[in-house]
Amino acid sequence: MRVPLSWLREYVDVDLSPEALAERLTLLGMEVKGIERRGDDWRDVVVGELLAVEPHPNADRLSLTRVRVDGGGGVLSIVCGATNIAPGQRVPVALPGAMLPGERRIERTTKMGVVSEGMLCSGDELRLTTDAEGILILPAGTPLGARLADVYGDVVLDVDVKPNRGDALSLLGLAREVAAATGAMVRWPAIDVAESGDEAASHLVVEVEDPALCPRFVGRWMDGVAIGPSPLDVQLRLMAAGMRPISNVVDASNYVMLELGKPIHTFDAAAVAGGRLIVRHARAGERLETLDHVVRELTTDTLLIADRTGPLAIAGVMGGAASEVGEGTTAIVIESAIFDPVSIRRTGQRYGLRSEASLRFEKGQEHRLARLGADRTAQLIAAWAGGRVARGVVDTDPVEPPPRRVPFRPSRVGRLLGVDVTADEQQALLARVGIATEGAVAGDLVPIARSSDLMALDAVSAAAALVAIVPGHRRDIAIETDLIEEVARVRGYETIPGERPASSMPGYRPDPRRGLDDLRELLAGRGLDEVVTHALIGPEDHGRLGLAADDPATIRVANPVSLEHSQLRRSLLPGLLRVLIENEHQRRHDVALFEVGSIHRFRDGAPVESLVLGILLAGDWVPGAWDQAARGAEMADVVGLLAWLVDRAGAGRLVAETTASLPTVEHPGRTALLRLVSSGAEVGRAGELDPRLLAAVDARASRAAFATVDVAALLGAVPAVRRLVPLARVPAVERDLAVVVGDDVPAGAVEAVIRDAAGPMLRDVRLFDRYRGAPLGAEESSLAYRLRLQAGRTLTDAEIEAIVAGVVTALGERLGARLRS
Amino acid sequence: MDLASVSADLAALRQRALAAVADADDLKELEAAETAFVGRKQGALTAVLRGIGALPAEDRPRVGAIANEVREAVEEAIAERRARLAAIALEVRLAAERVDVTLPGRPLRRGSLHPLVETTREIARIFGQFGFVVYESPEVETDSLNFQALNIPADHPARDLWDTLYVDAPTNDGDRLLLRTHTSPGQMRVMRQTRPPIRALLPGRCFRHEAVDASHGFEFFQVEGLMVDEGTTMAHLRGLLDEFAHALFGAGRPTRFRPGYYPFTEPSVAFDIQCVVCDGGGCPACGRSGWMTILGAGMVHPVVLRNGGIDPEVYQGFAFGMGIDRIAMLRYGINDIRYFLENDARFLEQF
Repeated sequence: MRVPLSWLREYVDVDLSPEALAERLTLLGMEVKGIERRGDDWRDVVVGELLAVEPHPNADRLSLTRVRVDGGGGVLSIVCGATNIAPGQRVPVALPGAMLPGERRIERTTKMGVVSEGMLCSGDELRLTTDAEGILILPAGTPLGARLADVYGDVVLDVDVKPNRGDALSLLGLAREVAAATGAMVRWPAIDVAESGDEAASHLVVEVEDPALCPRFVGRWMDGVAIGPSPLDVQLRLMAAGMRPISNVVDASNYVMLELGKPIHTFDAAAVAGGRLIVRHARAGERLETLDHVVRELTTDTLLIADRTGPLAIAGVMGGAASEVGEGTTAIVIESAIFDPVSIRRTGQRYGLRSEASLRFEKGQEHRLARLGADRTAQLIAAWAGGRVARGVVDTDPVEPPPRRVPFRPSRVGRLLGVDVTADEQQALLARVGIATEGAVAGDLVPIARSSDLMALDAVSAAAALVAIVPGHRRDIAIETDLIEEVARVRGYETIPGERPASSMPGYRPDPRRGLDDLRELLAGRGLDEVVTHALIGPEDHGRLGLAADDPATIRVANPVSLEHSQLRRSLLPGLLRVLIENEHQRRHDVALFEVGSIHRFRDGAPVESLVLGILLAGDWVPGAWDQAARGAEMADVVGLLAWLVDRAGAGRLVAETTASLPTVEHPGRTALLRLVSSGAEVGRAGELDPRLLAAVDARASRAAFATVDVAALLGAVPAVRRLVPLARVPAVERDLAVVVGDDVPAGAVEAVIRDAAGPMLRDVRLFDRYRGAPLGAEESSLAYRLRLQAGRTLTDAEIEAIVAGVVTALGERLGARLRS
Repeated sequence: MDLASVSADLAALRQRALAAVADADDLKELEAAETAFVGRKQGALTAVLRGIGALPAEDRPRVGAIANEVREAVEEAIAERRARLAAIALEVRLAAERVDVTLPGRPLRRGSLHPLVETTREIARIFGQFGFVVYESPEVETDSLNFQALNIPADHPARDLWDTLYVDAPTNDGDRLLLRTHTSPGQMRVMRQTRPPIRALLPGRCFRHEAVDASHGFEFFQVEGLMVDEGTTMAHLRGLLDEFAHALFGAGRPTRFRPGYYPFTEPSVAFDIQCVVCDGGGCPACGRSGWMTILGAGMVHPVVLRNGGIDPEVYQGFAFGMGIDRIAMLRYGINDIRYFLENDARFLEQF
């Protein structure tokens, strides 16, 4: 809400500087987001008086004026193109050297052979009004020679009114807040309508079909109205408050909305058939051209203002073009109604129409404002546009409801805030925001969590309790805690001291991120960079992983910010690839990335979220140096990295198994399934990406190693407690063993047989050499393993030889391997 | 063969052996000399000693003594020469191994941890000191937990505070799936799964339908805090937030506690710190107010306690929520929120 201070001061005295006022309002919960000084961007613009307006000697469309710009003899010759000027008028004059909004500099110039000593300004050039055609004609009493900023400059506060305080979306509402902060009095405008002639009821009938959606409708009738511009000061106020002046009648309704917070609509009475307004739901197939000249198909839950021929306006949201007040209008109907907030909100959202009016209706309206708004609007139209206000009003619910009574226990204030505030002080604080209080009696019902959640006071507690009598505009105050907040707010949050909690502690709970953080530290320690990428990716990203755009397991956003970010990721790979290519664009080709993040999918219609570790290595993995060649990342790097990670994390041994690769995503010959030996669980996949995937994302790299790991499966295999394996006193024995196997036998199988056949004395087995070539067969390789054997005692040569012989036999029998001679 | 000639032979042998040892230029030559003169099997001295059987018995001890003296002399010379050669070899090696010590070391990959995640950890560490424990809650939430249980009914104007991304899926009993707009639904999950005393922290990724600019993204990160007990007060909230602000932004940094608005807290709080850019003087970063809002908080609304299965007549508590992105930006002097999800190597390697 934009609040021009000059306007605010009509309703409350403000002795503070704008900055001090802004701080007081902010500390009261009415946060001032900005302070704008209107006129700050005018320099050397003064009030002048036109002495003469004569034709320009060399140009038909220009005039040559003589302008007095001070009380003395200073007279300037200024060339002007506007046609609305005449001698005797007071006008804004930009002197030579002046500065106008937009850093526009005015100099002494020559126009068509005649010297012009400055410029006469339009309202638009000063950003005061929207009129760019004519010169801004100032009221006759404007002091001659004064700086325009001293006369029309203003300070505008931008106040962030929270959604629960619709009552403060008005100058009077904010004046009430200023009064609460400073103790000043609020001055209401004198609302005084001069009625004459016949009764409004003889011209206007209002029929509300569903009073639940329109609890009150106040109508007034006026005729003899002359449409024209509003007075200049009214236009300036509306502009400063952020509204465009349109005409005296429309401006009056906007003025009342800003002043009282009451949205008003005016109809051209000639367009209301039979003078009968009907508030009803739209019927199937009905259409309405709204003020923005869009023809809208109306849905049947739309509340309308209609006449017997059809819709006139969407109630509370936007008027219709056909009944709009315009140049030819002479008779008008003023609508000052109250609508159901939810209905207005839904309608505004359905049609994508959120107006200043609908935003106020959505937050609820004080009952009495319907009548006050109608009267104030009629008063202002009569003042600005002339005409007659018919006698009386048409009012569907003239009886003011009684104020809400909210019993509360002052003792709860100290209990919740942690600072003692006496009941007397609470009463005084509430009085500052217009909330009267009186003693409670036994049986009074204290609303606890909502207005229907009531707790009856017994005689003892009632003796210490109070009843708040809440003024109609404070629709946000309904339960006891609302009053506690109000006490705290008016007293000032700054009066609440900081204390460290001294209450009981919750029981121990393991940090769910602990194991995860260990993994992150380990990977960063190994030289990988942690990244965080978007959880929302696009169908194209999923498409490259072989997931169709309409894959039923993909979780899609109904109202995405963009197609690129419209689906919850089912893999971390697209995000990691994006980081790769973005870095390649910066000529950073060597990337080693990891991310820990959630992936999502539907399973049986329910969303499932799983935490995944993703790794991507591209470019050099072993960095080059002055005496060391760089080496690019390959599958074995990522497999080794993960085996180390899993071991360090405490989840034991990881094995890579052959698996079918995901076509065009994973390298068909370089993709493995990762399995934890301890739990037997599949924990992920590792290998290299299919070069076609890299090409599809325009990566410069033609090789990239990747891994994806199910974090829950990995951390689930970490034992809660590690138990030490006793250390043997005698050293371990090492034996080397080289076997020749065919290419159909994976090394993983060889190692598995060795581990199985060697028995419990085998501590470790490591492949230390792999050889292909003569004298081996073309489809054979020699695998050399170092076995580490250990028992609690010294092993004899015979025992060792027996173990090795057993391994060789098993390799021969199960895998067709032979000992390399 | 007589004593004199054997003695002469031994003397000659001694001379030749000492000369050979002295001439040995490396270990290999030295070992050859050792074998040649004092080797147990083929050494010259052994050959001489083999011959003493031909001498008269009374001369043999005399020759034996001379031979031993020769052996000792030669072996001592060999030992000395060996030590000398080792010393020379070491000197040669050391000289050869001389390098330019100012050459850079062999590089290791640096590695880094992402500032958003590290800031989350830092926040959790600080509140962890005050007994707060971490809980996790899902990114895909229901309308009922994200809004309704938090006192934000459907069609409530406060919904304008959150531009929601909804999941394209059929509603389940009128309950729509959505991407959580804040970590606050985690409050409800914690209250429903545990009893007071509660001190919980809920970090996580959140989503809103927002246009991206230097200070907004449609994905961002929050930490929610919740404390509920019989006597938890707003003064405790202030005390704890002060501790937090001082831990993260320095002990002397002034803080400000002012009214805010959230439907799920009452009273609601906006918590400010003095601007970290201008120290309160007023600058563009703080909208010239001298203050920066770092989090929202408040006393848990009684209806939220009720929805969490907690009696608001017995228990009360506070909740707070902060944007990790914003905290990290203030902490590290990052001026564009987009850096976090872009993961430019030049950005990452500064952490």
